[in-house]
Amino acid sequence: MTARKLSCRELIEFLAAYLDGELAPEERAAFETHLSSCPYCVDYLATYRETIHLGKQALAAESEILEKVPADLVDAILATRSRS
Amino acid sequence: MRRPDRGPEPKAQDEQSLVLRLRAGDEAAFAELVRENAGRLLAVARRMLRSEDDARDALQDAFLQAFRGIDGFEGDARLSTWLHRIVINACLMKLRSRGRKPEGSIEELLPRFYADGHRIDPGPPWRAEIPDPVESREARTLVRASIDRLPEIYRSVLLLRDIEELSTEETALLLDIKADTVKVRLHRARQALRALLAPHFTSGAA
Repeated sequence: MTARKLSCRELIEFLAAYLDGELAPEERAAFETHLSSCPYCVDYLATYRETIHLGKQALAAESEILEKVPADLVDAILATRSRS
Repeated sequence: MRRPDRGPEPKAQDEQSLVLRLRAGDEAAFAELVRENAGRLLAVARRMLRSEDDARDALQDAFLQAFRGIDGFEGDARLSTWLHRIVINACLMKLRSRGRKPEGSIEELLPRFYADGHRIDPGPPWRAEIPDPVESREARTLVRASIDRLPEIYRSVLLLRDIEELSTEETALLLDIKADTVKVRLHRARQALRALLAPHFTSGAA
């Protein structure tokens, strides 16, 4: 059976579902057939993945740096105990 | 790899004993809960709120809710996961209380297509070497600023799903929207973020 042909628009619509493994087998086959012949969509998929990775890395690195909590904040939080 | 905001894996019996002490009103147990979790949770609040004062307020609100709600902690999730959800909820309340700013349009950041489904102006490819935000402060600042440029309804979904790693269903529940709406907004947010980063990472860009 020949997989249904997807356009670039459809491929990009299905991108998140593809990465989450949520496409039905025939949709996945159509997705991969399109990728095998479209360097623009291969590039889009790669940079979409890279974007997710960059977001995670940037904010995780930020929180590592900021991890130390100020002592006065700990005291302030514990002081709310008496009001709870 | 463990995420830095989920905390070290406590022994189940240590956690159970801490919960019992909290329920009994043991002051030392509250201090332990705060000292062990406040640092990670402050980082979560800072990521979401972008304001030190608001982050501190949200953290205080969240711990107050946790102190009051410890009897409702069911023990089927870890204590740190339960606290993480409470902090996120406190941050979302804070964002809502700031009032609605006019939301910018995201449309111009999404790919455009010809009638036959081909993409209009796919743009140049990205360089092979993208700076690592863990190593490069400049890359970190760029990515952070780009996320913060997203309209809030997209930024919140991106933060909850991709950064805080909540499920689609948990995100939908916290934001009071449908799971399908979470999926649509997440996909659009990632595409818009990609478009904001692209000019910095294509061949020939500094």
